[in-house]
Amino acid sequence: MLTPAELVWLIAAVAKGDEAAFERLYAATRAKLFGVVLRILRRQDLAEEVVQEAYVKIWSSAGQFNPGLSSPITWMASIARNRAIDVVRKRGESSIEEEPAAMEVAAETPDPLARREMTEELKRMLECVGRLEPDRQKLVLLAYYNGWSREQLAAKFETPVNTVKTWLRRSMMDIRECLGL
Amino acid sequence: MAYSEDHIALAAEYALGTLDVDERAQVETMMSVDKDFTAMVEAWEHKLGVLNQMVGSVEPGPEVWDKIRAAIGHAEPQTPLVLPQTAPSIFAEAVEPAAEVAPSNVIQMSDSAKRWRSVASFTSALAAALVALIGIQLAAPDWLPEGLRPKARTQIVEAKAPAPAVPSAQYVAVLQNGGSPAFILTVDGATKNFTVRKVGATAEAGKSFELWLISDKLPKPRSLGVIGGSDFTARPVLSSYDADTVNAATYAVTVEQAGGSPDGNPHSTPIFTGKLIEAVPASAPAR
Repeated sequence: MLTPAELVWLIAAVAKGDEAAFERLYAATRAKLFGVVLRILRRQDLAEEVVQEAYVKIWSSAGQFNPGLSSPITWMASIARNRAIDVVRKRGESSIEEEPAAMEVAAETPDPLARREMTEELKRMLECVGRLEPDRQKLVLLAYYNGWSREQLAAKFETPVNTVKTWLRRSMMDIRECLGL
Repeated sequence: MAYSEDHIALAAEYALGTLDVDERAQVETMMSVDKDFTAMVEAWEHKLGVLNQMVGSVEPGPEVWDKIRAAIGHAEPQTPLVLPQTAPSIFAEAVEPAAEVAPSNVIQMSDSAKRWRSVASFTSALAAALVALIGIQLAAPDWLPEGLRPKARTQIVEAKAPAPAVPSAQYVAVLQNGGSPAFILTVDGATKNFTVRKVGATAEAGKSFELWLISDKLPKPRSLGVIGGSDFTARPVLSSYDADTVNAATYAVTVEQAGGSPDGNPHSTPIFTGKLIEAVPASAPAR
């Protein structure tokens, strides 16, 4: 894995149309982006399609990346994840019936990292999520990692969708306050 | 700028991913015209994005790169979204100020806590954003992220009736149905002169499009005349209606026999509809 600084440099080169830099950027980041979207889409073919589209967008909008605002990998993962969420929302709630097993298997938190490997930002975020009530921690993490809709979350928590809406909103505001945003 | 809790929550939930399709499209529309709102969404994406450090890496298939390379083969890197230089003047008046105006309208939006949740009731901020977008959608739909490309559904743009028209305010209605916009109606707030620009509709041979004003203040639809015979139609007909009626009315297009309805009544269900939104307010807000 390249360092964030190297990734910034690569994105700058990509913004100028440097295809070799783009290939290096792809090689360095594809597995992370694919991992993120695969969790949400849970289908190899759909996830590959989304990753493909995400990189095409990364290629065309590399000039808009602002290293002062975001880390390269977060920026790229956001592009891929947003696309994955769009796809999963448009597919509708049928996906929940298609893969009931996958729904149960999906853990709230994937691959726990050793604490020393976490960035300070991640520790801070986890600390803020950790301050939420246990159910709401799960709610937020399932929403983020698995891309679940409010309806899916409502089914999982056996609670009305409107309650989920309220919880989500409250949770995000609590996280905001905790982060000092 | 300060945003209401609704806006903050909307940005956060967009980044979290729990909004539905329509809400996501709304956020993307707002982002396209409001840099501060975009920054807020991106700040959330960044904050939450650190969570992805915990996600394990998985290798995609080797053919993915081939497809990406093929897809960018003919694409030049693009500069950030810019409005087309060649935009017809009707867009220029609607589009350019709209981008300036949106942030101040966003404040008005906070008046109604739940408004953004309702797909049909876009507020004026969103409506202004929409107008800005339409110019782009018409001129170069490929420039837009997929969520913002013209949608195959009727979109009735609704805005609260603005204060009685003051000189130089411009109102715009996009008349559309099941696909791309068909007509763009602009009304000058001061003179109530209106202009209809044909953008995507062609009447069958022997038929004419007729524009109607539908208002709950009027017993039946009022004809505003046959439109679409040429690219532009300009008329002063609206001057006989008061500002509230003009602002709050639904504008609808029906298919009539050539030359228009013979008896002053519409003879088909509306095929394109839209409502006026304030695209250019009378006075430019301080920013």
